[in-house]
Amino acid sequence: MDALGRILMVEDDPKDVELTMTALEEYNLANEVVVARDGEEALDYLYSRGKFVTRPSDNPAVILLDLKLPKVDGLQVLQQIKSDEKLRIIPVVVLTSSHEEKDMVASYKLGVNAYVVKPVDFHEFVNAIRELGVFWAIINQAPPGSVRK
Amino acid sequence: METLPRVEKREAMARSSFFLQKARPVILRYGIAAISVAVALGLALAAQRYEFREVALPLFLFAVALTAWYGGAGPAVLAVALSIAFFDYFFTEPLYTFYVNRSDIPYLIVFIAFASLVAWFSAVRRGVERDLFQARNRLQAEVKERTEQASLLNLTHDTIFVRDMDFIITYWNRGAQELYGWAPDEAVGKRSDELLKTIFAVPIDDVRAELLRVGRWEGEVKRTKADGTQVVVASRWSLRMDDRERPVAIMETSNDISERKQREEQIRALNLELARRSTELEATNKELEAFAYSVSHDLRAPLRHMAGYGELLQKKASSVLDDKSQRYMSMILESAKRMGTLIDDLLAFSRIGRVETQKRLVNLDHLVKEVLSELRQETNGRDIVWKIDALPTCHGDRSMLRLVFVNLLSNAVKFTRKQPQAKIEIGRKEGNEDEIVVFVRDNGAGFDMKYVDKLFGVFQRLHQTDAFEGTGIGLATVQRIIHRHGGKVRAEGVVDQGATFYFSVPKF
Repeated sequence: MDALGRILMVEDDPKDVELTMTALEEYNLANEVVVARDGEEALDYLYSRGKFVTRPSDNPAVILLDLKLPKVDGLQVLQQIKSDEKLRIIPVVVLTSSHEEKDMVASYKLGVNAYVVKPVDFHEFVNAIRELGVFWAIINQAPPGSVRK
Repeated sequence: METLPRVEKREAMARSSFFLQKARPVILRYGIAAISVAVALGLALAAQRYEFREVALPLFLFAVALTAWYGGAGPAVLAVALSIAFFDYFFTEPLYTFYVNRSDIPYLIVFIAFASLVAWFSAVRRGVERDLFQARNRLQAEVKERTEQASLLNLTHDTIFVRDMDFIITYWNRGAQELYGWAPDEAVGKRSDELLKTIFAVPIDDVRAELLRVGRWEGEVKRTKADGTQVVVASRWSLRMDDRERPVAIMETSNDISERKQREEQIRALNLELARRSTELEATNKELEAFAYSVSHDLRAPLRHMAGYGELLQKKASSVLDDKSQRYMSMILESAKRMGTLIDDLLAFSRIGRVETQKRLVNLDHLVKEVLSELRQETNGRDIVWKIDALPTCHGDRSMLRLVFVNLLSNAVKFTRKQPQAKIEIGRKEGNEDEIVVFVRDNGAGFDMKYVDKLFGVFQRLHQTDAFEGTGIGLATVQRIIHRHGGKVRAEGVVDQGATFYFSVPKF
């Protein structure tokens, strides 16, 4: 419980980013969050290219992935991650507004590690984010090669 | 019909005499020879006694002729031999010996020749008669068969008529009379094409060519009946040839297919309409799906933000807000939450219409037990008398039927909340043979039957929100699920006395 993993949050909506950060801050989980605003940026980060060229080479402990994203959408990002030998070991949690069963089925088929629908109620939302953060960034033993502080 | 027994009788007689002739035993045939010669001898002797001269020979000839007629050739030879012997013994000098005078030999030869001639004529005549007899019998049998066939043709419901190569009708059966309306005596002798005003779908020359080439033709033709109405018939023509392979007549059988034609037309039109509707429906479904997706994703996000920021604001500003503002704040949050629930319920409702039902055998008893334990949270601390009948198994989608019970039972629990003692009954009612009717009855708030039509509508509520919470989508969901199962829902209620909800599902 001492090491805190880095979280890559892929989310295009700044309000969602802010609310999620707020929820994580309450539990001191916000420090190691990297935000990618679309699918392309997420892949840039993961492959250390574009504006992330200089980032440390280690992988995030978990990726929180929205599905509806500009440019490259969430399912495409997921597919790319899970078909890449180096990236596929990173746990990916889909965090979405979509209740759609077909999105869920598609995500699981691509090998997602968890699928969470963002609750409308803020308390529930905060709880969900907190539990996700605590579980994936602290409790879960991240695969080798990921950031630990 | 009256002639038939007579024909049969005559034929039977002919057959039996022929049979006798054929099977007349040898002994009997030769017996005839012996007896007839003996009788001739007796008569000749008697004639001699009474002084009649020269009778013996004609009498023997007569006996030979008789034997040849009835006994055939062999016995005739015997009769000739016997006749000569007796004649020689009794009537030629010297009497009572078989000695033959030289002078008698020509006489005897002439007798033998004459007797043989008589026998031969008799046998030939006999043969001719027998042939004639057989020919007559054959002819009679054939006539009978043809008569039967002709009356059978008349008995069929099918329309049959025959015309010669000049289109003149020569035969017209009862079926033809029934279909076209003319009696046989009105139709026979007329030209078929003029009488029936036949209209072909293909050129008449093609019809004729095919008929002459293969001897048959099949097709649909349009005709006009005696009463002037048009009729479409499926027609089959067969060419009749004479023994020199020249066409002499055309037999036509046909069936009235006007109704079938009409139905085919209707079905074609309906199918087209169906295809159009189904395309439309598919398009609508796709739209609906896109809509539901957008509702699911795009509408929930701003709502979540409203709730989130509202919550944050409430937390941050609670110390500086007065009671009224605090209340406004919580109203905003409550509304956002309610809208979230509405959206979720609506999505669930629309999903029922979109997903495939997976039908299998469902044990309703187990289902009810499951749902009841799920509702325990709501029933805790309540005084509820449950009366649950044994329910059968039915055929349906388990998770959907579960939703039906969840909605109906949680409604029953909810609307009996104000009763000191709630009574909820789950039972089965007799329905059709192939369906199961289940009801859920409560003694709760009930409803006015005036509004029964609104009960199953989406977002329709018959109670104030502050009396009984809810989104008004539960019963609409129930109805949709039951309709998707091919069943029906209905409700009965009295205000403040309770309500009963019935639904039916197929057994198989």
